Amino acid sequence: MRENPFKIIGSTEEPREDLRKEVLGSVRLAVLMMRFAQLFVADYASVLFDKFKVIPGDNETTGQQGLPPKP
Amino acid sequence: MLFKKKGGNNSELSDEALVDLVKGAMDADTFGLLYDRFAPKVYRKCLSMTRDKDIAHDLTHDIFLKAFLNMNKFDGRSKFGTWLYRITYNYCLDHLRRKQRDPVAPDVDFQGITPRDEERNEEQLLGLRADRLEEVLAGIDVTDRAILLFKYQEDMSIKDLTELLEMSESAVKMRLFRARERALAQYKVLYSEDP
Repeated sequence: MRENPFKIIGSTEEPREDLRKEVLGSVRLAVLMMRFAQLFVADYASVLFDKFKVIPGDNETTGQQGLPPKP
Repeated sequence: MLFKKKGGNNSELSDEALVDLVKGAMDADTFGLLYDRFAPKVYRKCLSMTRDKDIAHDLTHDIFLKAFLNMNKFDGRSKFGTWLYRITYNYCLDHLRRKQRDPVAPDVDFQGITPRDEERNEEQLLGLRADRLEEVLAGIDVTDRAILLFKYQEDMSIKDLTELLEMSESAVKMRLFRARERALAQYKVLYSEDP
């Protein structure tokens, strides 16, 4: 029986070794960027609220720290 | 050993279990295990479709990165391999379509196809000389080339192809039949004087 010609023309070549490094390097960088982005966008409403609220929460003296004392 | 390599204990896990770990921790080392299992096949598929090592290298890079970033969309309804090959298929096709000039394969009439016709054109295609088959595949539309490679080089079943192409069984059979007919028509164009 004749051999399947698709198998004959099929490559047995392995990808270059540096490809693994390249792929995982890109993956690590993508993870880092996702984590970095999450710092800003995960719960921005809560972050902004904490920053600008007037009533201090637990363990806070005031929500508007750093303002000069009233005369 | 004081420091264990991350992902090292997971090498016995199934593909799907590794996917779950990657989804949970977004861990590159665990993803590396999936890369090791599938990179040769993905690379060879890219190479078969493009016939260019450098382009196949770059496509493989992008396909794995795309797979990682879209891991949360893998719902486990198909095997991880099938899902990854779908990305491979679509990404390679997108790339080739951008580059492809007008396909040179002639039009073929598909009226009144019988199961005997399907059998006949499969026998004819698998009876071609390998060196000529390469030339034939280079001259047909990239979509036809891709489905023929997945079917006859990867031995994908019709069921696997329905998942890969997200088509019904009858649509896949028709797509395959048409691809074979166009390849045979291209063969006639190239080798009509020396059959």
